[in-house]
Amino acid sequence: MKIERQIEQIINTYSPAISSGEESLESILAMYPQLANELRPRLEAVIWLQQVRLSVATRPGFIHDSRKYLEAQIKSMPPHSFWQRLFKTLTPRRWVFNFAAITLMIISLGAVINDLILTARLSIPNEPLYSTKLVIEDIQLALTFNRKAKTDLYIQLSNERTTEFVELVLQGDYEYLPSATRRLESEITATLDSLENFPIHEQDNKQATLVKLRETLTNEIFMLNMLKWTSPPSALTGINLAIHVAQSGIVALH
Amino acid sequence: MPGKLDNDHELIKKAQRGDVTAFGDLYESHAPAIFRYLFSHLDNQMDAEDLTGEVFLKVWRSLPKYTERGVPFLAFLFKVARNILVDHYRKNNNLETKDPEEMDGYSAEVISEPIELVGNQIEHQKILRVLHRLRTDYQSVLTLRFISELSPEETAQVMNRSVGAIRVLQHRALAVLREELDNIGKHED
Repeated sequence: MKIERQIEQIINTYSPAISSGEESLESILAMYPQLANELRPRLEAVIWLQQVRLSVATRPGFIHDSRKYLEAQIKSMPPHSFWQRLFKTLTPRRWVFNFAAITLMIISLGAVINDLILTARLSIPNEPLYSTKLVIEDIQLALTFNRKAKTDLYIQLSNERTTEFVELVLQGDYEYLPSATRRLESEITATLDSLENFPIHEQDNKQATLVKLRETLTNEIFMLNMLKWTSPPSALTGINLAIHVAQSGIVALH
Repeated sequence: MPGKLDNDHELIKKAQRGDVTAFGDLYESHAPAIFRYLFSHLDNQMDAEDLTGEVFLKVWRSLPKYTERGVPFLAFLFKVARNILVDHYRKNNNLETKDPEEMDGYSAEVISEPIELVGNQIEHQKILRVLHRLRTDYQSVLTLRFISELSPEETAQVMNRSVGAIRVLQHRALAVLREELDNIGKHED
């Protein structure tokens, strides 16, 4: 083991000198006569390998040319990470274009959503967007925390249900009248519940809201009665039911 | 060579961030050793040139996952080169000889005169004949240490062995190589 290490050290030390011609095989062996038998064949092998190293060297210009080729190949490959891909492929002009395209897309999407909400808000029970309208109203109610504002919103919704009812009658869609009446009833009940839960320190607000509800219900009854005179007999049952619901609301208020 | 290692470290960091020129510098610094390693195992200079490019392309693709704490860059390069060489041997068992027309543009620009080329080829075949008579691990240790000029530590990392084991292997391999050179000389006489 010791000889191996010693020989390796000699080889490492004198290899460059042999390669450059500063030392010869014999001069090194003369320095280590005790190792000559072990050292000679190995140094001869090293000299042969040094010649091989020269014969397997790259041809002139290969490294320079192939470097250019390699760099071109790499540049045509997709970059490493997502961010590198993003920053590498986008020129300033492309950035502006992408920004404009995304902005335009957001504006268009906003316009479409706005349009959809407006259409939904004008829809009546026989139309496909009516369920969207109810969801929007539920969201509005969930986001209204003030008791007075919430009760006002219920009153507004009860008025909305009456308007829908009138539109259904005018369009002749009488099969939807029972469900519309049920929704009107639930809005009136919710309004009354909300009034019930008014805080004690807001009694003035409660009074004003109460008056508002009474007026709304009276208007609704008047509107429904007017509708009764102009509608065909097949619609009368539904209209009478709706009038009865509104009247019950007034009774409950008393 | 601590300066060279520091420089490599900087270049690797830059290359990992997508700097192609930094990777080109790494290529220029290490491609000759990789080429010598490959060419000392192959009978065709063009194949060695192609495979050298292939090694660096593969390394470029693996750079995002590469951490210097694991394997030093040079050892990593030679491991890739060794794998590519094994793949090349496997493929070549099933392939016909490659047509020079199929070579990439730059590879076709070999400057050597035909007579010189033939002479070089004969000499190279002789070298391969000698090396191929050695055991695979002897071939590896000798080509890595004396043809690619890797240090014993780097050779140990490429070959997945201890430095002591590399020392013993080198000691034996050099002796066997000398014997083979003698044998071939006697045979040719």
